[in-house]
Formats: sequence, structure tokens, C-alpha cells
Amino acid sequence: MTVDIPTRINPMIRHRAGHIGRAVPRREDRSSLMGRQRYIADLKLPGMLEVAFVRSPEAHARILGIDTEPARALSGVLAVFTGADLVDVESFPQKIPYIQPVGQRPLAEDRVRYVGSPYAAVVATDRYVAEDAATLVAAHTEFDPLPTVANLDQALTGDGARLYDDWPDNYLVNFPDDKPDVMKAFDEADHTFSDTYVSQRQTGLPLECRGVLAEEVDGRLTVWSSTQSPHIVRTTIAEMIGIPEPRVRVIAPAMGGGFGTKTHIYPEDVVVPWIARKLGRPVRWLEDRFENLVSAVHARDQRHDVNVAYDDDGTIRAIRCKAYCDVGSGEIFMPGTATVFVTGGVLTGAYDFQNMEVHHFCVVTNKTPSGAYRGFGTPEGMFVMERIIDRVARLTGTDRVAIRRRMMLREDQMPYHMHSGGRIDSGSHAKSFERAVELIGPSVERARAGYADDPDVRVGVGYTNYVEPTTPTYHLTTGHWGGYDSATLRVDPDGAVRVGLGTTALGQGTETTAAQLASDALGVDPDDVTVVMGDTDRAPYGLGAWGSRSAIVMSGSILMAADRVMTKARAIAAHMLEASPDDILLTDGRFHVAGSNTPTVTWSQVATAAWVRTVDLPRGLEPGLEMTGYFEPPGLEHLPGSDGKVNAAASWSNGAHAGVVSVRVSTGEIKIEDYVVVHDCGTMINPMIIDGQVHGGVAQGIAGAMYEHFQYDPETARPRFASFMEYLYPTCSEVPAMTVEHFETPSPDQPLGVKGCGEGGTIGPAAVVAGAVSDALGDLGVEIVATPVTPSSIRQAIREWSGSEGGS
Amino acid sequence: MASNPGSREADVSVTINGTQVTYRVPARLLLSDFIRDVVGLTGTHVGCEHGYCGACTVIVDGDAIRSCSTLAVQVDGSAIRTVEDLADDGELTPMQQAFHENHAMQCGFCTAGFLMTLESVDPDDYREPEQVVELLSGNLCRCTGYQNIVKAVCSAWGVEGHKGT
Repeated sequence: MTVDIPTRINPMIRHRAGHIGRAVPRREDRSSLMGRQRYIADLKLPGMLEVAFVRSPEAHARILGIDTEPARALSGVLAVFTGADLVDVESFPQKIPYIQPVGQRPLAEDRVRYVGSPYAAVVATDRYVAEDAATLVAAHTEFDPLPTVANLDQALTGDGARLYDDWPDNYLVNFPDDKPDVMKAFDEADHTFSDTYVSQRQTGLPLECRGVLAEEVDGRLTVWSSTQSPHIVRTTIAEMIGIPEPRVRVIAPAMGGGFGTKTHIYPEDVVVPWIARKLGRPVRWLEDRFENLVSAVHARDQRHDVNVAYDDDGTIRAIRCKAYCDVGSGEIFMPGTATVFVTGGVLTGAYDFQNMEVHHFCVVTNKTPSGAYRGFGTPEGMFVMERIIDRVARLTGTDRVAIRRRMMLREDQMPYHMHSGGRIDSGSHAKSFERAVELIGPSVERARAGYADDPDVRVGVGYTNYVEPTTPTYHLTTGHWGGYDSATLRVDPDGAVRVGLGTTALGQGTETTAAQLASDALGVDPDDVTVVMGDTDRAPYGLGAWGSRSAIVMSGSILMAADRVMTKARAIAAHMLEASPDDILLTDGRFHVAGSNTPTVTWSQVATAAWVRTVDLPRGLEPGLEMTGYFEPPGLEHLPGSDGKVNAAASWSNGAHAGVVSVRVSTGEIKIEDYVVVHDCGTMINPMIIDGQVHGGVAQGIAGAMYEHFQYDPETARPRFASFMEYLYPTCSEVPAMTVEHFETPSPDQPLGVKGCGEGGTIGPAAVVAGAVSDALGDLGVEIVATPVTPSSIRQAIREWSGSEGGS
Repeated sequence: MASNPGSREADVSVTINGTQVTYRVPARLLLSDFIRDVVGLTGTHVGCEHGYCGACTVIVDGDAIRSCSTLAVQVDGSAIRTVEDLADDGELTPMQQAFHENHAMQCGFCTAGFLMTLESVDPDDYREPEQVVELLSGNLCRCTGYQNIVKAVCSAWGVEGHKGT
């Protein structure tokens, strides 16, 4: 089934050729190729000062005193501010009722809870001097170290250290669950097993760090921030600093990636504008990479204590999961509490499985606050589910493909209601898995044959079948916002179209795809469409770009606005053609009466009447040709029902990944021999861009599966990383060439059948690599239960098995 | 007022993209900051300031170097080329065109570094996809998974045998 796009947009528009669904080259490329794109670090204002933040070198300490005089005495330093100076700034909002109060101040005041926590800001004539001065402030700060909490085990020790004195323990969120059906299944099943699965701490790491530039002119504050959510930054700045929102303008310039880390509102987003107001000068802060590694949100730090009930035939009867997320100090807005609920909610992936009990816990530790990263809890969940399935297959002697086939969601089950309330509207779950199995088969054979003469190398294959919740509610993440977004379409007198979007761009080609949508929705050439976003003065209110939401919300809002523009344009054209509006068609960009190709009027003539020659308008019709659509995705729920279930995503893309690995037993070296993705995000707006999203997602998934790991010293809770030298960001040599194929199962609910595709690629690799390595080394007793899967973790597993099982 | 360690200055004379310039700058100024903030060519990006990610790659006297871990005073007297030099007449080079056609860039932040690395080598030395992959492994990209970058380079240089779709 495919969607007839022109008809679904507007039956009154006839095109030579539509643009939706085509691999339209990106309009964003040329400026980047020529070095003319403008990122936050490229912006300067006359008289601009530079800010450096002073960050805690201690993981947990009281601040006894800060002597700022040596820093102030440095030539070129204009000011030093500490937490005490910002008393007039509100604390970060905390609007979710069921989480413990964190009370995050814009700068830490009397206590720091992680290495990297900002507690002072230095303003100087240039960045070098500002950093010199920041070092002096740090050297003249007196800390009283407190006992540290470096990991979950330490956090959950009853008599251990606590981060917040007024909490009873270190639980930021504590949501137990108790299902009688699960209990019953454990009583009845043939067997049970328990295991613990761990996903390590990592993060999005856009190549561009963060940055904020602010100035106030005539009581109006303009803030440039490298953010995925400029409107939410504006609302938060206005609320915290205490100025009316219309007096704040936030602009997100070109962005060097975000991957979720830039959805959060950080202390710097508030402190830098506050300094600009205080000093009456433009000020800028540019994050360096060390700051980025310790102060931009981390993610994925989860542990799952799992009990599984299963029968001899490989049927899984029930899963009980205690899902713990180590959210670091918790000092971040939005809080990092939602991801673990997504993990628990979508852990069953593309499988028909209901009998689950998930206890959700968010636990604070003396580490960098955690939050959003592409995938948002789903990679952690799929890792757990696929490990469970492989384990049951091994324990019962069931084929790993066969056991999955039995569990796959079927088309006749759509819409499928997951155990958590997620409503999977449609998909090609079983079909995608079959195709992935078919594609990977020859690669498995080739790899086995290739290493047949090398007894040191074992070959294995791994699979995963996931769903990707897209366009989620922001209410469960923020306790405040919902799920809509907006578009304003204006047709100017020359017939050119301006699209203003509430979403924003961080490298995913939104300008190109928005122009494809608008050009088809108004029957104009994409070259006549200009797209504006990421500027709260020039674009309508919106929630930004995250959660794979732009495809759906921008399709919906552009189509709504276009429909309104078309209605008015047809009324104007009808008046000019002395006909009824109902009889007006738009064919290849010209309005005419149905059944007659002449005379015609152009978009330019209609828009000129609307804006300029208003004497040509029908009597009583309001001038102007600009309409806004505010689109709330149908079916999206913002709060759980009385049963605790919620469909927190507007649509559900799906995919199957399969990968072949070779493992050298003597060294533990892993090589991904081949990787295939069968992907279904419904109607594709631009297949080229979607492939790019999948490639990048898979690479980040492989990074999590095999390389990246924020490690902390368990004794001191200090980071064991300070650069890319310790945090292994994959290069071209680590990411295998991959095969990507698509099915297009349109969403029955969302505009044009679009579903969204930003995160799917990241979901699969941890499950696939762990499954493949476990398969390769099954006869050596290796069962991968934690990521990253590294040569040393493999060697350790082999050694442990050799010791315990008497292996050679 | 205490003097700061950046008060020592030096003259730096370079040819940058064919234009001879001389500036008096702090002796500790990084080449990346010299190019971006003093000369005003912001197409060279700074991704890590540790010499690791390659976003700041420029060509100095024919060699690709990391401008974030080089001092401006070290290149006094040199000829520097930056990304702005590639299509200075407005016409994209074949490699830039290949990046565009193969969707070898998303956020674009790393692109200049890749282009300058590629510009600094002789394509005849890279005839196999594996050699291209090795060459590109000195530059980090977070968006593309590298697949389309490899594809673009293979296409521009006529290297055959690259897998992946």
C-alpha cells in the first residue's frame, strides 16, 4: 500500500510531478561546502565580551568560600559572578509531580554534586583571558569534600552517602510495579532464570559543542543558542530571569548536530543572558570539548535486574524487570527521568509480548546529569529483550530465528496495544525481519567460509526487531509542554512562499524536506519556497526538533496552513475568474475553472491582490495571504490513564537489524563483517535523507555497542575521561559499510502516512552485536550481558568460563 | 592589574588563500583562532581543541595539519589554504560536488576538515575503498556514519568496489 500523495494533500491541486518521496538534493549543502555556514562560534557582536565558566573539580563537596579577587585583578577581566550574585534568578522549574525536588540553581551555590558543575562565571575581553581567570577562581575556591556516590550500588546502599539531605534516599523516581498475572506465570512456567543487563554511560556528542551569545538592546534580550528547542529556551529564560516573554528573542543558528543533548536547557542558557543584561554588553560563551564531556547531559546509564519465566518449548511466559537509570546528579532541565520509562515501555520491541512487570527507578549519583540522547531509552530496552530471547533459545535448544518468528507482531494485530499502552498503528514487523534474515544469510556463509581455516576466529550472527516511538509527548518529560507544532505559510506578491516552522534544524535536512512538503501542498516549485525556523521572532511557537518528531509535526502543520491558504487563494482566484470558489482548480501552479484550461491566474496575481491590489479582492474578504497551522498529532496521549498506560508517541516506525561478526578468541578482537537494516518509517519524504539518518544512527549505535563509555573512578566519582582520547568516538574504520532497505507502511493516523526516522538506526546495534558475539562464542560459555562489548570484556568472559567450567 | 600570560605578542605573516597578511597577535594564539577570529575565515571549525577530531584541518605548505593544536606563530611565513579557497570562484570542486550529490554531510560541521584532508593528498595513492577509509579515519563525523562520505570520495576519485547502500 502506498499513499496517493497529491490527492491526500488537496484534491484541487494537480501537479506535473510531486516532490514528496523524491531524493531531492539538500539546499543546505552549498554553504557548508564553501565554509559559509554560520554556527554559534562564528557569530560576533561589536563590543562583545567572552565568558568562561568555573566548574567543580570535586565530585561532591560543600563550597566553603570563593575568593574572586585574584581573577578580578587579571588584566582584561571585567567581572566574576558566583551563585550568590544570581539571587534574583529563579531556580530551574521542576513541574513533574512525582519526582523528588532537586532545586537546581543557575550556578551551584553551597554544594557541588558532580565534576563539571558550573559554580562561577568569569567575563573578560577574550576567551583566553576568561579561561586564565576561571583557572584562578578554581584555584581560590575552598571545598569541603563529601562522601561520593559513584554508581548505582553505592547509591542504593542504605547507609551510604546521599546527594540531597532532605530526601530519604537517592531515588529521584521510585515506581514499583506489581502484576498478579506475572506472579502467576512464574508459578506455572517450566523454568525461570535471572540475569542483570547493563547499558553503559555514553552520550550524543555532536561535533559542535554548545554555545550562547546574548545582548540586550532597549530592554529586549536577544539570545543565540545552539539549541534544539529555541522556543522552550525563550519561555524558560523569561520565566527564570523574570522578564516578559515577548522581550526575549531566541535564535538557534546553524547547528553542528545535537542528538538530544541540545534539547535540554542548561545553566549557561540562562546565566549568559543574565550577564548580558547585568553588564549592558553582548557576551558569548563557547563550550570547549572538556566542558562538553563533563557538563552536557550523559545518557544510557541503565541496569536491568530481570527474571524470566519460560517453558520447555521456548515460550516466554513472563518478564519481571527492575529498570534502574543512573541519572547523575539530576541537576538538569528537563530532568533525565523519562528515558527509563521509555525503556520499560518499549522493551518488547516488535514482539507480541504482554506479560511484563517493570519497576522504574531513577537514582542520583555524583556524576554528570543524564538526559536525552538519540534513541531515548529504546536501545537499552532492545538490548535487554534480545538478550532474553537469545538466552531462552539457548536454554531450550530453540532456533533463534524460529523463536523470533513465533513472537513477531503480525499485520492483522494492528493497531497493537503494547503492555505499556503504546499503540503501534501499523508496520512491517514480520516482513522486515524475514528480509533482514534473507539479506544477512549469504554474509554469514561468506564469513564462515572466509575464516574456515583459522581456528582462532569464530563467526556469529545477531538480530533485533524494534519499534521506534516517534513524535512523543513532551508532557511526561517536562511536566509542562505537550506535543503540537506549528507552521506559518505566506505567499508573497511575487508568488514566492515563505514557510515559518516551530521545529528547528540541527543537520537533518529540515529546510529541504519542509520545502518539498510546502511545494506539493501549494503546487509551487521548491525553488520558490523559503524556509525559516529556529528564530522565535520569525517562526511560530513550537517545541523544537527531538524525538523524531519533525517529519510528522511539520507535515501536519504545513498541510493545515496550506489548506487554509488554498481556500483563500481559490476564493480570490474565483473572484478574478468570475466563477465559484468550488470550481477552482490549481494545475501546475495556475488557478483555473474546472473543465477549462484558460483563462488562468497565477499565484503571483492572487497574492498581489491579497497584499497590494486589494481592490481586486472579493468584497468583504480580509486582505493578506498568510495562514498558520497548529498541529497536534492525532492519537498522542499526554498523561497515563487510570490503568497507568499511555500511548506517549504519535506513531511507531519499525525496523529489523542483523549483523555478522567475527571474533578472534585469543585477543577478543571483534569485527563487524556485515550489517543490514530493513527500515520502515511509513511514507518517505526524502529517501536520501532517511538513508543518511539510518547510517548515522547505526554508527552511533555501534559506538554504544562496542566503544564509547564514560567511566568514573568508583572511589572518587571522578571522570576517567577528559577528551576523545579516552572516549572512543568511532572513526570511519570502525563503522562497517551497511546495507539499508526500506518498506513503506504508511501510518493510518498521521498526515501523508509519515512516521519519523531520526532515531531508529541507534536502536539496533547493541542488541545485534551482543547477540552476534554471544552466538560466535556460545561454545566458550560467553553470554554478553553488558555493553560496550570490547576485546577485554570478551577475554574476561572467556577466562571466567574457563575457570568455572573447566574449559581448556 | 596583574599582567596575564597572554600579553606577549608576535608578528605573524602568512599567505592565506593567496592573500598576504600580517597581524600582531598574542604569542599563545592558536592557528585555528588566528584563522577564524583574526583573519575572519570561519569555515574552519573547532570540534575538540585536542587535535583529535580533524574539523579544524587546514593545509599549510601543502600538508594537512590540525590548526587547533598549532600556534599561529609556528606557521609564520607559510602559505595556508582553508575551505574557503576550494570554490573561490563560486564553482564547486568535483569533490564538493560529490559530497553534495552523495549526501555526504548532514550538520556540515566536520565537512571542511574532510575536504581539506582530501585536498592535501594525491588521489592516485588511494585506489582501493580500504585506502579511502583509512585516509578518512583521521576525521570524525557524528552524523553520517561515514558511509556516504566514503561513497562520495570513491565516486569523485573513481575508486570502485565500495560496499554499502
